[in-house]
Amino acid sequence: MNLKVTVARSLSSASFSTAADKADVTEPVEQSQKMSKAMKAYMERAQAHDAFMAEQIAEYEIGRRHLANIMGEDPETFTDEDKDRAIEYLFPSGLFDPRALPQMKHPSEVFFKRKAAEFDYSGRPFHALFYTGLPNYYQILHDITEKVQELDHFASRMSHFNVTQDTNKTMSFGGSEWLTKEEFEKKIVEAIKDYHYEFFVKSMNRLVAHPLSYREKDFIMSYRKEKVSALLLQEIPKLMFNAEGVPYMITTGRRKTSTATVTVYGRGSGKMTINNKDILFFSNIQDREQILFPLQFSGVLGTVDVVAEVEGGGTTGQSGAIRYAISMALRSFVDSEMVEKMRLAGLLTRDPRRRERKKPGQKGARAKFTWKKR
Amino acid sequence: MALCTRRILQQFNVGVFRSQWHSVSSSSAPVMGSAKPAYLPESSEDLTSHEKTLKEVLKHPDFFKVAELFTVEDLFKARVHLGHKEGSVHVNMTPFLFGSRLGHVIIDLDQTAEYLRQALNFTAHIAFRGGIILFVNRTPQHQVTVENCAKECGEYAHTRFWYQGTLTNSAVSFGCITRLPDLLIFLNTLDTGLQQHTGVKDAAKMLIPTVGVVDTNCNPNLITYPVPGNDDTTASINLYCKLFKSAILRGKEKRKELLQL
Repeated sequence: MNLKVTVARSLSSASFSTAADKADVTEPVEQSQKMSKAMKAYMERAQAHDAFMAEQIAEYEIGRRHLANIMGEDPETFTDEDKDRAIEYLFPSGLFDPRALPQMKHPSEVFFKRKAAEFDYSGRPFHALFYTGLPNYYQILHDITEKVQELDHFASRMSHFNVTQDTNKTMSFGGSEWLTKEEFEKKIVEAIKDYHYEFFVKSMNRLVAHPLSYREKDFIMSYRKEKVSALLLQEIPKLMFNAEGVPYMITTGRRKTSTATVTVYGRGSGKMTINNKDILFFSNIQDREQILFPLQFSGVLGTVDVVAEVEGGGTTGQSGAIRYAISMALRSFVDSEMVEKMRLAGLLTRDPRRRERKKPGQKGARAKFTWKKR
Repeated sequence: MALCTRRILQQFNVGVFRSQWHSVSSSSAPVMGSAKPAYLPESSEDLTSHEKTLKEVLKHPDFFKVAELFTVEDLFKARVHLGHKEGSVHVNMTPFLFGSRLGHVIIDLDQTAEYLRQALNFTAHIAFRGGIILFVNRTPQHQVTVENCAKECGEYAHTRFWYQGTLTNSAVSFGCITRLPDLLIFLNTLDTGLQQHTGVKDAAKMLIPTVGVVDTNCNPNLITYPVPGNDDTTASINLYCKLFKSAILRGKEKRKELLQL
């Protein structure tokens, strides 16, 4: 395609040279006549805009250098922060709204840019859906609709040939979730609103709900991310070994206002030591059950020894702290399946409840004084 | 109400020029009307060969032979003649109506054929001159068809929510200086909610010519080349897409051949 070479050079901001750049400028007048009035109008406006921007940028640069000289600084090393501070110093303002303060911005931030990448030399956009304003986003919606139609068509052909659907192939998308709005925006390189994103998720769910959606697995999975198990993110500390080669793990646990430091030794016989006393440290059956539960649940009841030091709080708090500490220590002894089971049983959750304060005008934290009608 | 509508419907044949009424074809012989182009050629001494070609092409009443693309029978088969009910007929559509049957209005296909040929001819000329053509439609069931049709002929489509500043404030809407479409083709001039599409008014404001399929409940006033016809049936939309696509592709073919562009 023959281009008007001089115009093409001024318009294109590409760093590579095209064949057009090297072409002979044989009949420039003839070539320019080949463009329609609309194309010419666009190119004139584009050139005028480029010229205007160049002028504005030149003025801005001169202004910046003046400012640096006024402030007594070197114009070469005058950064944007220096410039903002200089303006604030020279033009003090008592106004609060940031938009009302005097500013000196680069023209590209003030005036709209001319995006060279979206059109060709004659102003024709590259993307067919350009005029919608969100070409990439609407292209995805178009693809989803087309795929649903194709799957319906395929299903009708299958039923025509009496081919039953293989239910094993039906995809389950349980282990993954849709990209968040931010991740989706990054992927399509366009800024969209919340309702755009919600509509996208709704449309994709319709595609996923189709019984033959496994045929579009790649397309669907490109907008989904795998759900990472919280467990995998945690790093379970490795067992330590003492002089005799006995494995052990030290952990700290807290509950209410109690703190417990617990050492769990492997290759043991089920001995329990709390503050140098037996399990009878706790006179309450419930407290004793609390500290034995993690051992019984993970099946190590007679095979580990526990040495605990606990201080602060009361019986329930102390037993809860020891229980939590034992559970966290047992993670290093058992396999990941058992760890997941313990997590589901609630053994690995630090109980965050504290005593709620009493409020004035009430009998307790929540209890109110007796209400009298009259 | 029904009585006066019927009287209005009986006054058909107003939209067609007297001279053309006799040359209006039967379903088997498509022929372009004998209207002369309003543009008169100047003396050809100061013009380049490129400009000469452009002027020569304009002299011909049907340079791209768009009249061959369809017959009235094709329109009938695609159910283009089916309008809505009598009660929803727009006043400005009454010249294009053939009559009504059991409360359902029928569009005069002989008139439609003539308007459609003019619209296709215009579209082909715009494509010949390298204009940007934007297909507009707001019915959800035809979104994919229209978008695919636009892609296949290398043009543009807008079947989504129309931002008010798309044409009138394009520099801000698109964030940069944009070349606006040179032709808008409305396959349905109504938006969701049975209101007229903003693009019709905005194109008129920006002096962008429009081609529009106008159903019996639409207002053809602001459309440059209205085509009275059914805009709801999938078969008709498919036919319009096919016809406009062929016209555009013919225009582009001639552009390559005659202007080497």
